[in-house]
Amino acid sequence: MTYPEVLAELIEEFQDIDDKMERLEMVFDMADEVVPYPAERWDDESRILGCQSEAHVHVELDDGKVLLFAGADAKLVQGLMGILSIAVNGYAPAQVLLLSPGFAEEMGILSTLSPSRSNGFRNMFDKVMKDIRGLQ
Amino acid sequence: MALRDDFPILKRKVNGFPLIYLDNAATTQKPQVVLDAMNNYYTSSNANVHRAVHTLAGEATEGYEACRTKLKDWFNAERAVLTSGTTEAINLVAHSWGRANLIEGDVIVLTEMEHHSDIVPWQMLAEERNIELRYVPVMEDFTLDMDAYAASLDGAKLVCVVHTSNVLGVRNPMEEIIELAHSRGALVLVDAAQGVPHERINFQESGADFMAFSAHKMCGPTGIGALLIDAEVFETMQPFMGGGDMIETVTITGSTYQTDEHKFEAGTPKIAEAVGWSAALDWMSTLDLEKEHQRLVKIGSWVAEQLRSMGMAVYGRHEKNDSAVVSFNHPSIHSEDLAHLFDSRGFAVRTGHHCAQPLLNRLGISSTVRASFYLYNTMHEAELFIKQLKEITERFG
Repeated sequence: MTYPEVLAELIEEFQDIDDKMERLEMVFDMADEVVPYPAERWDDESRILGCQSEAHVHVELDDGKVLLFAGADAKLVQGLMGILSIAVNGYAPAQVLLLSPGFAEEMGILSTLSPSRSNGFRNMFDKVMKDIRGLQ
Repeated sequence: MALRDDFPILKRKVNGFPLIYLDNAATTQKPQVVLDAMNNYYTSSNANVHRAVHTLAGEATEGYEACRTKLKDWFNAERAVLTSGTTEAINLVAHSWGRANLIEGDVIVLTEMEHHSDIVPWQMLAEERNIELRYVPVMEDFTLDMDAYAASLDGAKLVCVVHTSNVLGVRNPMEEIIELAHSRGALVLVDAAQGVPHERINFQESGADFMAFSAHKMCGPTGIGALLIDAEVFETMQPFMGGGDMIETVTITGSTYQTDEHKFEAGTPKIAEAVGWSAALDWMSTLDLEKEHQRLVKIGSWVAEQLRSMGMAVYGRHEKNDSAVVSFNHPSIHSEDLAHLFDSRGFAVRTGHHCAQPLLNRLGISSTVRASFYLYNTMHEAELFIKQLKEITERFG
Protein backbone atom coordinates (compact mmCIF):
# COMPACT_ATOMS: atom_id res chain seq x y z
CA MET A 1 0.00 0.00 0.00
CA THR A 2 1.04 3.62 -0.33
CA TYR A 3 1.99 5.38 2.88
CA PRO A 4 2.12 9.05 3.85
CA GLU A 5 5.47 10.46 2.72
CA VAL A 6 6.98 10.72 6.17
CA LEU A 7 6.17 7.08 6.91
CA ALA A 8 7.46 5.92 3.51
CA GLU A 9 10.77 7.69 4.22
CA LEU A 10 10.98 6.04 7.61
CA ILE A 11 10.37 2.60 6.11
CA GLU A 12 13.22 3.22 3.67
CA GLU A 13 15.54 4.37 6.43
CA PHE A 14 14.86 1.24 8.46
CA GLN A 15 15.33 -1.01 5.44
CA ASP A 16 18.83 0.38 4.95
CA ILE A 17 19.99 -0.89 8.33
CA ASP A 18 21.45 -4.40 8.54
CA ASP A 19 22.80 -4.40 12.07
CA LYS A 20 20.21 -5.34 14.68
CA MET A 21 21.66 -3.12 17.40
CA GLU A 22 21.56 -0.13 15.06
CA ARG A 23 17.96 -0.92 14.19
CA LEU A 24 17.10 -1.12 17.89
CA GLU A 25 18.86 2.19 18.44
CA MET A 26 16.75 3.75 15.74
CA VAL A 27 13.56 2.36 17.29
CA PHE A 28 14.70 3.76 20.66
CA ASP A 29 15.19 7.16 18.99
CA MET A 30 11.58 7.03 17.80
CA ALA A 31 10.51 7.18 21.46
CA ASP A 32 10.95 10.97 21.19
CA GLU A 33 8.09 11.07 18.68
CA VAL A 34 5.55 10.02 21.30
CA VAL A 35 3.08 12.48 22.75
CA PRO A 36 3.47 11.35 26.36
CA TYR A 37 0.63 9.72 28.21
CA PRO A 38 1.63 10.21 31.86
CA ALA A 39 1.92 7.13 34.06
CA GLU A 40 -0.61 8.51 36.55
CA ARG A 41 -3.28 8.25 33.85
CA TRP A 42 -2.47 4.63 32.98
CA ASP A 43 -5.42 2.34 33.70
CA ASP A 44 -6.98 -0.88 32.46
CA GLU A 45 -8.69 0.96 29.64
CA SER A 46 -5.43 2.34 28.28
CA ARG A 47 -3.39 -0.84 28.82
CA ILE A 48 -2.18 -2.80 25.81
CA LEU A 49 -2.75 -6.43 26.59
CA GLY A 50 -0.13 -8.97 25.60
CA CYS A 51 2.83 -6.64 26.07
CA GLN A 52 5.58 -8.01 28.31
CA SER A 53 6.05 -4.59 29.88
CA GLU A 54 3.64 -1.82 30.85
CA ALA A 55 2.32 -0.11 27.73
CA HIS A 56 -0.58 2.35 27.51
CA VAL A 57 -2.24 4.33 24.72
CA HIS A 58 -5.00 6.90 24.56
CA VAL A 59 -6.49 8.40 21.41
CA GLU A 60 -8.24 11.75 20.95
CA LEU A 61 -9.36 13.81 18.01
CA ASP A 62 -7.71 17.20 17.71
CA ASP A 63 -9.55 19.38 15.22
CA GLY A 64 -10.87 16.22 13.57
CA LYS A 65 -7.39 14.67 13.28
CA VAL A 66 -6.02 11.72 15.24
CA LEU A 67 -3.79 12.44 18.24
CA LEU A 68 -2.20 9.42 19.89
CA PHE A 69 -0.90 9.66 23.45
CA ALA A 70 1.33 6.81 24.55
CA GLY A 71 3.58 5.64 27.34
CA ALA A 72 5.60 2.53 28.20
CA ASP A 73 8.29 1.57 30.66
CA ALA A 74 10.53 -0.06 28.04
CA LYS A 75 12.16 2.23 25.50
CA LEU A 76 11.73 -0.29 22.72
CA VAL A 77 7.96 -0.29 23.25
CA GLN A 78 7.93 3.50 23.51
CA GLY A 79 9.88 3.61 20.23
CA LEU A 80 7.32 1.39 18.52
CA MET A 81 4.68 3.76 19.83
CA GLY A 82 6.62 6.64 18.31
CA ILE A 83 6.61 4.94 14.91
CA LEU A 84 2.89 4.36 15.20
CA SER A 85 2.44 8.01 16.20
CA ILE A 86 4.19 9.11 13.00
CA ALA A 87 1.83 6.85 11.05
CA VAL A 88 -1.39 8.16 12.63
CA ASN A 89 -0.95 11.60 14.18
CA GLY A 90 -2.43 14.49 12.24
CA TYR A 91 -4.40 12.34 9.82
CA ALA A 92 -8.15 11.97 9.51
CA PRO A 93 -9.53 8.85 11.19
CA ALA A 94 -10.84 7.49 7.88
CA GLN A 95 -7.35 7.73 6.39
CA VAL A 96 -5.68 6.15 9.44
CA LEU A 97 -8.11 3.24 9.42
CA LEU A 98 -6.81 2.25 5.97
CA LEU A 99 -3.41 1.43 7.53
CA SER A 100 -2.38 -2.14 8.13
CA PRO A 101 0.43 -3.25 10.50
CA GLY A 102 2.31 -4.28 7.35
CA PHE A 103 4.38 -1.09 7.48
CA ALA A 104 6.19 -2.38 10.56
CA GLU A 105 7.01 -5.60 8.72
CA GLU A 106 8.31 -3.62 5.77
CA MET A 107 10.58 -1.72 8.13
CA GLY A 108 11.98 -5.02 9.36
CA ILE A 109 11.26 -4.09 12.96
CA LEU A 110 8.96 -7.04 13.65
CA SER A 111 11.65 -9.51 12.63
CA THR A 112 13.93 -7.72 15.10
CA LEU A 113 11.57 -8.70 17.89
CA SER A 114 10.75 -12.06 19.37
CA PRO A 115 7.28 -13.44 18.45
CA SER A 116 5.77 -12.43 21.80
CA ARG A 117 7.04 -8.86 21.39
CA SER A 118 5.91 -8.53 17.78
CA ASN A 119 2.48 -9.76 18.92
CA GLY A 120 2.62 -6.91 21.41
CA PHE A 121 3.10 -4.47 18.54
CA ARG A 122 0.11 -5.96 16.69
CA ASN A 123 -1.97 -5.67 19.86
CA MET A 124 -0.91 -2.04 20.14
CA PHE A 125 -1.85 -1.39 16.51
CA ASP A 126 -5.22 -3.17 16.89
CA LYS A 127 -6.05 -1.27 20.08
CA VAL A 128 -5.23 2.11 18.54
CA MET A 129 -7.36 1.30 15.49
CA LYS A 130 -10.22 0.10 17.67
CA ASP A 131 -10.03 3.25 19.82
CA ILE A 132 -10.04 5.43 16.69
CA ARG A 133 -13.10 3.62 15.37
CA GLY A 134 -14.74 4.29 18.75
CA LEU A 135 -14.20 8.04 18.29
CA GLN A 136 -16.03 8.19 14.99
CA MET B 1 37.17 -27.31 24.99
CA ALA B 2 35.94 -30.89 24.55
CA LEU B 3 32.73 -30.53 26.55
CA ARG B 4 31.49 -27.66 24.38
CA ASP B 5 32.18 -29.67 21.25
CA ASP B 6 29.41 -32.06 22.32
CA PHE B 7 26.83 -29.28 21.74
CA PRO B 8 26.34 -28.55 18.04
CA ILE B 9 24.07 -25.58 18.68
CA LEU B 10 26.93 -23.66 20.30
CA LYS B 11 28.58 -23.35 16.90
CA ARG B 12 25.75 -21.28 15.42
CA LYS B 13 25.67 -17.55 14.99
CA VAL B 14 22.87 -15.25 16.11
CA ASN B 15 22.44 -11.90 14.37
CA GLY B 16 25.88 -12.42 12.85
CA PHE B 17 27.62 -13.04 16.18
CA PRO B 18 28.68 -16.30 17.86
CA LEU B 19 25.91 -17.56 20.16
CA ILE B 20 26.61 -17.11 23.86
CA TYR B 21 23.80 -18.99 25.52
CA LEU B 22 23.08 -17.74 29.05
CA ASP B 23 19.45 -18.79 29.45
CA ASN B 24 20.12 -22.15 31.05
CA ALA B 25 17.72 -21.71 33.94
CA ALA B 26 14.96 -21.68 31.30
CA THR B 27 16.30 -24.66 29.39
CA THR B 28 19.69 -26.19 28.68
CA GLN B 29 21.15 -27.21 25.34
CA LYS B 30 21.39 -30.86 24.32
CA PRO B 31 24.60 -32.77 23.64
CA GLN B 32 24.92 -34.67 20.35
CA VAL B 33 24.42 -38.02 22.16
CA VAL B 34 20.90 -36.94 23.18
CA LEU B 35 20.04 -35.83 19.65
CA ASP B 36 21.45 -39.10 18.28
CA ALA B 37 19.59 -41.25 20.80
CA MET B 38 16.24 -39.66 19.93
CA ASN B 39 16.95 -39.80 16.23
CA ASN B 40 18.03 -43.45 16.44
CA TYR B 41 14.93 -44.31 18.41
CA TYR B 42 12.63 -42.85 15.75
CA THR B 43 14.80 -44.23 12.95
CA SER B 44 15.01 -47.81 14.14
CA SER B 45 12.91 -48.64 17.21
CA ASN B 46 9.75 -46.51 17.16
CA ALA B 47 6.73 -48.40 18.52
CA ASN B 48 4.27 -48.09 21.37
CA VAL B 49 5.27 -49.43 24.77
CA HIS B 50 4.09 -52.12 27.19
CA ARG B 51 1.64 -54.00 24.96
CA ALA B 52 2.61 -55.52 21.64
CA VAL B 53 4.87 -58.58 21.46
CA HIS B 54 6.80 -57.55 18.35
CA THR B 55 10.49 -56.68 18.45
CA LEU B 56 10.13 -52.93 18.02
CA ALA B 57 7.61 -52.73 20.87
CA GLY B 58 10.07 -54.60 23.06
CA GLU B 59 12.88 -52.20 22.18
CA ALA B 60 10.68 -49.16 22.77
CA THR B 61 9.55 -50.53 26.15
CA GLU B 62 13.13 -51.25 27.17
CA GLY B 63 14.18 -47.76 26.11
CA TYR B 64 11.36 -46.13 28.06
CA GLU B 65 11.80 -48.19 31.21
CA ALA B 66 15.58 -47.80 31.10
CA CYS B 67 15.02 -44.09 31.77
CA ARG B 68 13.06 -44.88 34.92
CA THR B 69 15.77 -47.27 36.09
CA LYS B 70 18.49 -44.68 35.48
CA LEU B 71 16.51 -42.05 37.38
CA LYS B 72 16.06 -44.38 40.34
CA ASP B 73 19.79 -45.07 40.35
CA TRP B 74 20.78 -41.43 39.86
CA PHE B 75 18.52 -40.16 42.65
CA ASN B 76 18.38 -43.26 44.86
CA ALA B 77 14.59 -43.41 44.65
CA GLU B 78 12.24 -46.35 44.86
CA ARG B 79 9.44 -44.78 42.86
CA ALA B 80 9.90 -42.56 39.80
CA VAL B 81 6.84 -41.49 37.82
CA LEU B 82 7.58 -40.08 34.38
CA THR B 83 5.62 -36.89 33.73
CA SER B 84 5.67 -34.15 31.13
CA GLY B 85 7.80 -32.03 33.46
CA THR B 86 7.95 -30.35 36.85
CA THR B 87 4.58 -28.66 36.43
CA GLU B 88 2.71 -31.87 35.70
CA ALA B 89 4.54 -33.61 38.54
CA ILE B 90 3.36 -31.00 41.05
CA ASN B 91 -0.16 -31.06 39.64
CA LEU B 92 -0.11 -34.83 40.01
CA VAL B 93 0.56 -34.49 43.74
CA ALA B 94 -2.15 -31.83 44.08
CA HIS B 95 -4.71 -34.00 42.30
CA SER B 96 -3.83 -37.42 43.63
CA TRP B 97 -2.40 -36.94 47.11
CA GLY B 98 -3.93 -33.52 47.79
CA ARG B 99 -7.50 -34.38 46.95
CA ALA B 100 -7.33 -37.62 48.94
CA ASN B 101 -5.71 -36.16 52.04
CA LEU B 102 -6.60 -32.49 52.43
CA ILE B 103 -9.89 -31.18 53.72
CA GLU B 104 -11.36 -27.83 54.66
CA GLY B 105 -9.22 -25.96 57.17
CA ASP B 106 -6.00 -27.88 56.42
CA VAL B 107 -2.82 -25.89 55.85
CA ILE B 108 -0.25 -25.98 53.05
CA VAL B 109 2.99 -24.05 53.56
CA LEU B 110 4.57 -22.47 50.49
CA THR B 111 7.30 -19.87 50.15
CA GLU B 112 7.48 -16.53 48.38
CA MET B 113 10.37 -17.99 46.42
CA GLU B 114 8.25 -20.51 44.52
CA HIS B 115 7.88 -20.68 40.76
CA HIS B 116 4.26 -20.25 39.63
CA SER B 117 4.14 -24.01 38.96
CA ASP B 118 4.45 -24.59 42.71
CA ILE B 119 1.88 -21.93 43.60
CA VAL B 120 -1.00 -22.10 41.15
CA PRO B 121 -1.88 -25.81 41.59
CA TRP B 122 -2.13 -25.20 45.35
CA GLN B 123 -4.21 -22.07 44.92
CA MET B 124 -6.62 -24.05 42.75
CA LEU B 125 -6.82 -26.81 45.36
CA ALA B 126 -7.16 -24.27 48.18
CA GLU B 127 -10.07 -22.61 46.46
CA GLU B 128 -11.77 -25.92 45.81
CA ARG B 129 -11.28 -27.29 49.33
CA ASN B 130 -11.11 -24.13 51.41
CA ILE B 131 -7.53 -24.89 52.41
CA GLU B 132 -5.28 -22.29 54.01
CA LEU B 133 -2.06 -21.38 52.18
CA ARG B 134 0.77 -19.84 54.20
CA TYR B 135 3.74 -18.23 52.49
CA VAL B 136 7.17 -18.14 54.10
CA PRO B 137 8.66 -14.68 53.45
CA VAL B 138 11.94 -14.04 51.66
CA MET B 139 14.25 -11.78 53.66
CA GLU B 140 16.47 -8.94 52.52
CA ASP B 141 19.45 -11.29 52.22
CA PHE B 142 17.43 -13.30 49.67
CA THR B 143 16.99 -16.30 52.00
CA LEU B 144 13.85 -17.74 53.54
CA ASP B 145 12.79 -16.52 56.94
CA MET B 146 13.31 -19.78 58.82
CA ASP B 147 11.72 -18.48 62.04
CA ALA B 148 8.58 -17.63 60.11
CA TYR B 149 8.79 -21.06 58.48
CA ALA B 150 8.89 -22.82 61.85
CA ALA B 151 5.96 -20.74 63.06
CA SER B 152 3.96 -21.48 59.91
CA LEU B 153 4.04 -25.23 60.48
CA ASP B 154 1.25 -25.31 63.07
CA GLY B 155 -1.42 -27.58 61.60
CA ALA B 156 0.41 -27.91 58.27
CA LYS B 157 -0.17 -31.09 56.29
CA LEU B 158 2.16 -30.29 53.40
CA VAL B 159 5.19 -28.07 52.77
CA CYS B 160 5.99 -27.16 49.17
CA VAL B 161 9.40 -25.63 48.73
CA VAL B 162 11.72 -24.79 45.90
CA HIS B 163 15.15 -26.43 46.20
CA THR B 164 16.95 -23.65 44.31
CA SER B 165 15.37 -20.38 43.19
CA ASN B 166 15.14 -19.85 39.43
CA VAL B 167 15.48 -16.09 39.98
CA LEU B 168 18.00 -15.78 42.80
CA GLY B 169 19.99 -18.98 42.42
CA VAL B 170 19.67 -19.34 46.20
CA ARG B 171 19.76 -22.96 47.36
CA ASN B 172 17.43 -23.37 50.30
CA PRO B 173 18.41 -25.34 53.45
CA MET B 174 16.43 -28.39 52.35
CA GLU B 175 17.75 -30.68 55.07
CA GLU B 176 16.55 -28.32 57.82
CA ILE B 177 13.25 -27.60 56.07
CA ILE B 178 12.42 -31.28 55.61
CA GLU B 179 13.45 -32.28 59.12
CA LEU B 180 11.39 -29.53 60.69
CA ALA B 181 8.33 -30.32 58.55
CA HIS B 182 8.49 -34.02 59.45
CA SER B 183 8.90 -33.27 63.14
CA ARG B 184 5.62 -31.35 62.91
CA GLY B 185 3.84 -34.08 60.93
CA ALA B 186 3.84 -32.44 57.50
CA LEU B 187 4.93 -34.06 54.25
CA VAL B 188 7.35 -32.20 51.96
CA LEU B 189 7.25 -31.63 48.23
CA VAL B 190 10.49 -30.32 46.75
CA ASP B 191 10.47 -28.43 43.45
CA ALA B 192 13.93 -29.43 42.32
CA ALA B 193 13.75 -28.16 38.74
CA GLN B 194 16.72 -25.82 39.35
CA GLY B 195 18.42 -28.10 41.87
CA VAL B 196 18.96 -31.31 39.93
CA PRO B 197 21.01 -29.70 37.14
CA HIS B 198 23.60 -28.61 39.71
CA GLU B 199 23.51 -31.14 42.50
CA ARG B 200 23.41 -34.91 42.68
CA ILE B 201 20.46 -35.24 45.10
CA ASN B 202 19.96 -38.46 47.08
CA PHE B 203 16.16 -38.59 47.31
CA GLN B 204 15.84 -41.20 50.05
CA GLU B 205 18.54 -39.60 52.17
CA SER B 206 16.94 -36.18 51.72
CA GLY B 207 13.79 -37.44 53.43
CA ALA B 208 11.54 -35.60 50.98
CA ASP B 209 8.19 -37.19 50.23
CA PHE B 210 7.87 -35.82 46.70
CA MET B 211 10.44 -34.34 44.37
CA ALA B 212 9.61 -32.86 40.98
CA PHE B 213 11.97 -31.88 38.16
CA SER B 214 12.36 -31.67 34.38
CA ALA B 215 14.77 -33.29 31.94
CA HIS B 216 15.31 -30.23 29.80
CA LYS B 217 17.11 -28.31 32.53
CA MET B 218 19.77 -31.03 32.70
CA CYS B 219 20.65 -31.48 29.02
CA GLY B 220 17.68 -33.77 28.31
CA PRO B 221 14.73 -33.17 25.99
CA THR B 222 11.73 -30.95 26.65
CA GLY B 223 8.37 -32.60 27.37
CA ILE B 224 9.53 -35.04 30.03
CA GLY B 225 10.18 -34.85 33.74
CA ALA B 226 9.74 -36.93 36.84
CA LEU B 227 8.07 -37.13 40.17
CA LEU B 228 9.94 -39.12 42.79
CA ILE B 229 7.67 -40.36 45.55
CA ASP B 230 8.48 -41.89 48.90
CA ALA B 231 7.59 -45.62 48.68
CA GLU B 232 5.14 -45.58 51.58
CA VAL B 233 3.37 -42.44 50.41
CA PHE B 234 3.23 -43.90 46.90
CA GLU B 235 1.14 -46.85 48.13
CA THR B 236 -1.52 -44.51 49.49
CA MET B 237 -1.95 -42.63 46.21
CA GLN B 238 -4.61 -43.28 43.59
CA PRO B 239 -4.46 -42.34 39.89
CA PHE B 240 -5.80 -38.95 38.87
CA MET B 241 -5.79 -39.42 35.11
CA GLY B 242 -7.57 -42.37 33.55
CA GLY B 243 -6.86 -44.06 30.21
CA GLY B 244 -4.78 -46.72 28.54
CA ASP B 245 -1.64 -48.16 30.10
CA MET B 246 -2.62 -47.32 33.69
CA ILE B 247 -5.22 -50.08 34.09
CA GLU B 248 -5.11 -53.77 34.97
CA THR B 249 -8.62 -54.65 33.77
CA VAL B 250 -11.48 -52.67 32.29
CA THR B 251 -15.06 -53.88 32.10
CA ILE B 252 -18.20 -51.90 31.37
CA THR B 253 -18.92 -51.85 35.09
CA GLY B 254 -15.52 -50.61 36.25
CA SER B 255 -11.75 -50.81 36.12
CA THR B 256 -8.83 -51.85 38.26
CA TYR B 257 -5.54 -50.01 38.13
CA GLN B 258 -1.88 -50.85 37.92
CA THR B 259 -0.11 -50.72 41.25
CA ASP B 260 3.31 -49.48 40.14
CA GLU B 261 4.29 -46.14 38.56
CA HIS B 262 2.20 -46.93 35.48
CA LYS B 263 -0.93 -46.04 37.45
CA PHE B 264 0.13 -42.40 36.97
CA GLU B 265 1.17 -42.70 33.34
CA ALA B 266 -2.11 -42.94 31.42
CA GLY B 267 -1.88 -42.90 27.64
CA THR B 268 1.09 -43.31 25.34
CA PRO B 269 4.02 -41.88 27.28
CA LYS B 270 7.00 -39.74 26.16
CA ILE B 271 9.05 -42.59 24.73
CA ALA B 272 11.59 -40.78 22.55
CA GLU B 273 12.00 -38.19 25.28
CA ALA B 274 12.72 -40.92 27.85
CA VAL B 275 15.33 -42.39 25.52
CA GLY B 276 16.86 -38.92 25.12
CA TRP B 277 16.84 -38.30 28.87
CA SER B 278 18.64 -41.61 29.46
CA ALA B 279 21.34 -40.50 27.05
CA ALA B 280 21.60 -37.16 28.88
CA LEU B 281 21.99 -38.93 32.23
CA ASP B 282 24.66 -41.21 30.76
CA TRP B 283 26.46 -38.17 29.37
CA MET B 284 26.23 -36.29 32.67
CA SER B 285 27.48 -39.27 34.63
CA THR B 286 30.81 -38.95 32.80
CA LEU B 287 31.30 -35.52 34.41
CA ASP B 288 32.49 -34.51 37.84
CA LEU B 289 29.28 -32.58 38.56
CA GLU B 290 30.50 -31.19 41.86
CA LYS B 291 33.66 -29.82 40.30
CA GLU B 292 31.67 -28.35 37.41
CA HIS B 293 29.27 -26.78 39.88
CA GLN B 294 32.12 -25.14 41.77
CA ARG B 295 33.46 -23.76 38.48
CA LEU B 296 30.02 -22.39 37.54
CA VAL B 297 29.38 -20.80 40.93
CA LYS B 298 32.76 -19.10 40.65
CA ILE B 299 31.67 -17.68 37.27
CA GLY B 300 28.29 -16.65 38.71
CA SER B 301 29.77 -14.89 41.72
CA TRP B 302 32.38 -13.13 39.53
CA VAL B 303 29.63 -11.87 37.21
CA ALA B 304 27.54 -10.72 40.18
CA GLU B 305 30.53 -8.85 41.61
CA GLN B 306 31.27 -7.17 38.27
CA LEU B 307 27.63 -6.15 37.89
CA ARG B 308 27.56 -4.63 41.37
CA SER B 309 30.73 -2.69 40.65
CA MET B 310 29.05 -1.32 37.52
CA GLY B 311 26.12 -0.05 39.58
CA MET B 312 23.62 -2.77 38.72
CA ALA B 313 21.09 -4.00 41.28
CA VAL B 314 21.91 -7.70 41.73
CA TYR B 315 19.44 -10.11 43.31
CA GLY B 316 21.06 -13.10 44.99
CA ARG B 317 24.02 -13.98 47.19
CA HIS B 318 25.94 -16.49 44.96
CA GLU B 319 27.37 -18.70 47.66
CA LYS B 320 28.97 -22.08 47.10
CA ASN B 321 25.80 -24.19 47.09
CA ASP B 322 23.76 -21.74 45.02
CA SER B 323 23.29 -22.11 41.29
CA ALA B 324 25.04 -19.95 38.72
CA VAL B 325 22.01 -17.74 38.13
CA VAL B 326 22.55 -13.98 38.15
CA SER B 327 19.48 -11.73 38.09
CA PHE B 328 19.99 -8.01 37.86
CA ASN B 329 18.61 -4.68 36.72
CA HIS B 330 20.39 -1.84 34.99
CA PRO B 331 20.01 1.58 36.63
CA SER B 332 18.84 3.27 33.42
CA ILE B 333 18.10 0.64 30.74
CA HIS B 334 14.85 -1.34 31.04
CA SER B 335 15.34 -5.10 31.31
CA GLU B 336 13.38 -5.72 28.09
CA ASP B 337 15.52 -3.26 26.16
CA LEU B 338 18.69 -4.70 27.62
CA ALA B 339 17.76 -8.26 26.64
CA HIS B 340 17.07 -7.12 23.05
CA LEU B 341 20.40 -5.32 22.92
CA PHE B 342 22.22 -8.40 24.20
CA ASP B 343 20.43 -10.53 21.60
CA SER B 344 21.63 -8.21 18.85
CA ARG B 345 25.17 -9.29 19.74
CA GLY B 346 24.43 -13.02 20.05
CA PHE B 347 23.85 -13.24 23.82
CA ALA B 348 20.77 -15.19 24.95
CA VAL B 349 19.57 -13.92 28.34
CA ARG B 350 16.14 -14.03 29.91
CA THR B 351 14.03 -11.09 30.93
CA GLY B 352 10.68 -10.73 32.68
CA HIS B 353 9.22 -12.00 35.93
CA HIS B 354 10.57 -15.54 35.45
CA CYS B 355 7.21 -17.05 36.50
CA ALA B 356 7.91 -15.93 40.06
CA GLN B 357 5.76 -12.84 40.48
CA PRO B 358 5.28 -13.15 44.27
CA LEU B 359 9.08 -13.16 44.69
CA LEU B 360 9.51 -10.14 42.42
CA ASN B 361 6.75 -8.36 44.31
CA ARG B 362 8.64 -9.03 47.52
CA LEU B 363 11.78 -7.58 45.91
CA GLY B 364 9.75 -4.56 44.79
CA ILE B 365 10.45 -5.03 41.09
CA SER B 366 8.48 -6.26 38.08
CA SER B 367 11.26 -7.84 36.02
CA THR B 368 14.97 -8.61 35.88
CA VAL B 369 17.55 -9.61 33.31
CA ARG B 370 18.78 -13.09 34.15
CA ALA B 371 22.03 -14.66 33.00
CA SER B 372 22.28 -18.32 33.94
CA PHE B 373 25.37 -20.43 33.33
CA TYR B 374 25.67 -24.16 32.74
CA LEU B 375 28.18 -26.89 32.01
CA TYR B 376 29.29 -25.63 28.58
CA ASN B 377 29.65 -21.97 29.59
CA THR B 378 33.13 -20.61 30.15
CA MET B 379 34.75 -17.79 32.09
CA HIS B 380 35.64 -16.27 28.74
CA GLU B 381 31.94 -16.05 27.88
CA ALA B 382 31.26 -14.38 31.24
CA GLU B 383 33.98 -11.83 30.47
CA LEU B 384 32.46 -11.18 27.04
CA PHE B 385 29.07 -10.73 28.70
CA ILE B 386 30.41 -8.06 31.05
CA LYS B 387 32.34 -6.40 28.21
CA GLN B 388 29.15 -6.31 26.13
CA LEU B 389 27.21 -4.78 29.01
CA LYS B 390 29.86 -2.06 29.34
CA GLU B 391 29.55 -1.29 25.63
CA ILE B 392 25.75 -1.20 25.82
CA THR B 393 25.90 1.08 28.87
CA GLU B 394 28.27 3.47 27.12
CA ARG B 395 26.02 3.65 24.07
CA PHE B 396 22.54 3.49 25.61
CA GLY B 397 22.89 4.07 29.36
